[in-house]
Amino acid sequence: MKIPKQARRQARQLFRVCRPQGLLDDTRVRAAVTAVLDRRPRGFQAVLAEFQRLVKLDLTRRSARVESPAPLAPEFQERIKANLTQHYGAGLLIEFAQNPALLGVLRIRVGSDVYDGSIQARLTALEQAL
Amino acid sequence: MSTILQEIEAQIAGVQTSVKRQNVGIVREAGDGVARIEGLTEAMLNEMLDFGNGVTGIALNLEETEVGAIVLGDFTSVKEGQEVRTTGKLLSVPVGKALLGRVVNTLGLPIDGKGPIATDKTYPVEKIAPGIIKRRSVSQPVQTGIMPIDAMIPIGRGQRELIIGDRSTGKTTICIDTIINNARLNTVAETTGDKTHRPLYCVYVAIGQKQSNIARVVDVLEKNGAMPYTIVVAAAASDSATNQYLAPFAGCAMGEWFMDNGMDALIIYDDLSKHAVAYRQVSLVLKRPSGREAYPGDVFYLHSRLLERAARLSEQAGDGSLTALPIVETQLGDVSAYIPTNVISITDGQIYLETGLFYQGVRPAISVGLSVSRVGSAAQVKAMKQVAGRVKLDLAQYRELAAFAQFGSDLDPDTQKKLDRGRRIVEIFKQKQYAPIPVEIQSLVLWAVQNGFFDDVAVDHVKECQEQMSEFFTTRKSDLLKKLSKEKAFSDALTPEIKAAVTEFKQGFRPAVAAGAAPAPKPAQK
Repeated sequence: MKIPKQARRQARQLFRVCRPQGLLDDTRVRAAVTAVLDRRPRGFQAVLAEFQRLVKLDLTRRSARVESPAPLAPEFQERIKANLTQHYGAGLLIEFAQNPALLGVLRIRVGSDVYDGSIQARLTALEQAL
Repeated sequence: MSTILQEIEAQIAGVQTSVKRQNVGIVREAGDGVARIEGLTEAMLNEMLDFGNGVTGIALNLEETEVGAIVLGDFTSVKEGQEVRTTGKLLSVPVGKALLGRVVNTLGLPIDGKGPIATDKTYPVEKIAPGIIKRRSVSQPVQTGIMPIDAMIPIGRGQRELIIGDRSTGKTTICIDTIINNARLNTVAETTGDKTHRPLYCVYVAIGQKQSNIARVVDVLEKNGAMPYTIVVAAAASDSATNQYLAPFAGCAMGEWFMDNGMDALIIYDDLSKHAVAYRQVSLVLKRPSGREAYPGDVFYLHSRLLERAARLSEQAGDGSLTALPIVETQLGDVSAYIPTNVISITDGQIYLETGLFYQGVRPAISVGLSVSRVGSAAQVKAMKQVAGRVKLDLAQYRELAAFAQFGSDLDPDTQKKLDRGRRIVEIFKQKQYAPIPVEIQSLVLWAVQNGFFDDVAVDHVKECQEQMSEFFTTRKSDLLKKLSKEKAFSDALTPEIKAAVTEFKQGFRPAVAAGAAPAPKPAQK
């Protein structure tokens, strides 16, 4: 769907309203979507599509995915959560997953930042260097 | 075998395996050589991006929620949802003398089938031009071997001289002749062991040209022995707009290496009109706001930052130079169009080629009235300065009077003399392509013209007289030529010798009988 400039502008305004103090408020997001759907202003579908994209980007920015080849102990998970929160601030949505292809160590992705210490990545780097 | 093991061990030991932070993004949209990427929050302007599978790109648009990047390489392999990483590097190309004699693409990869290029030096494609303090005035000539240019529109090392004209007016020919002449001078200096000669290395950047044209240019350079001193950077019309946009900058980086290492280089951009069109395409696909004629607002900056990198450096900065000869193609002689006026205002002069002159047989079709070199005689050897000073004025007077004389009214002897002299100078300045003339011969010919030795030669035979005179001096008066080449001036001691030699030549000169002309009458038999 081609989203016109006006729709982008309106979606951005709506998004700003749903982010008091820099953090996305789920309640406000739901309320905003409901209000738009109820009123159905002109071009509301384009506005909602752009708003959805912005929310998705914000969630991606605040999401952290920790991959390990084997399940991590709960204490270790808590330590990781604390370190990530200390580094990136509160409001992180942290998810733990298993990926046996890593072979060893962890791969952490927070938003656009990737910390890849896995054996698989090191082997790939070695292969490219050689 | 043990050497191989040691090499592998050194390579393995050199690999960094510590955990590093990388910045990644996901391709949201890809097409037309451009990709829009979500994420990449720490991407910097002009940073190289890694799309994987050997495909790289450059971040050009840094927007609030996404990054617009142009893709180098095979852009059809970039798919939506693909992961992209920043590299923390700027786009760089290989540089060095190893590229001489090679034909490369925008990324510096060889495309001439002669194997890989052995160099480990790289230069960034985008670089800030040398500052004011690092520069020096232009005072050394670039000998193009084309008489009207060396006499009236002299180009110096470190200058930017625009070559502008309609299609098929001889713009590329002027540049190729310059490369061939300088290759000849380099070869002569190497053969004779002349340590005072500063070789001039050439970079020819073909932007948006037909591949057949590029192949023809390379062939001409090879036949004339110029390729060993030349790098050809090819971004043909079949290449992506991204490659055509980056090719001049890549070529400039290669030329800058010579400048930064105390050597002289010449770079030819053929042509910047197509470069502007490629940049327009890239900008429009990136959805940048368009301005006049749909060009982006920074099209002036595109060319100004490119051409400002041509400079002559001071001795403290290495004493190197980079001379730029940008080419711009006009439509129907319109020099007041957008791109031509932009580039005219940036460069240190222009050589304007006219279609009318070309079809009249005046080749190179240089319009003396509209062409200028803002460096002027500071970039001429003294010998040329001594003889070429009046030529432009003589030609200007001739042009005025020629229009007047068309009415056929009786002319006073002075006016007739000026007309005759002007016609002969126009003939002298005609020159075949790929046949540059050494500066000593040019000075001699112009000296002879200025001192009236051509006044009694019919206009139709002036060219023949000039060629025979050149041959006479090259074969029978080579010592005199060497003296002139060494002194680079018509000294008080040398001038009488030259006069005697020219007189000797004139006494023996007999123009060839034209085909179809009536034979000379036989003397009556007694």
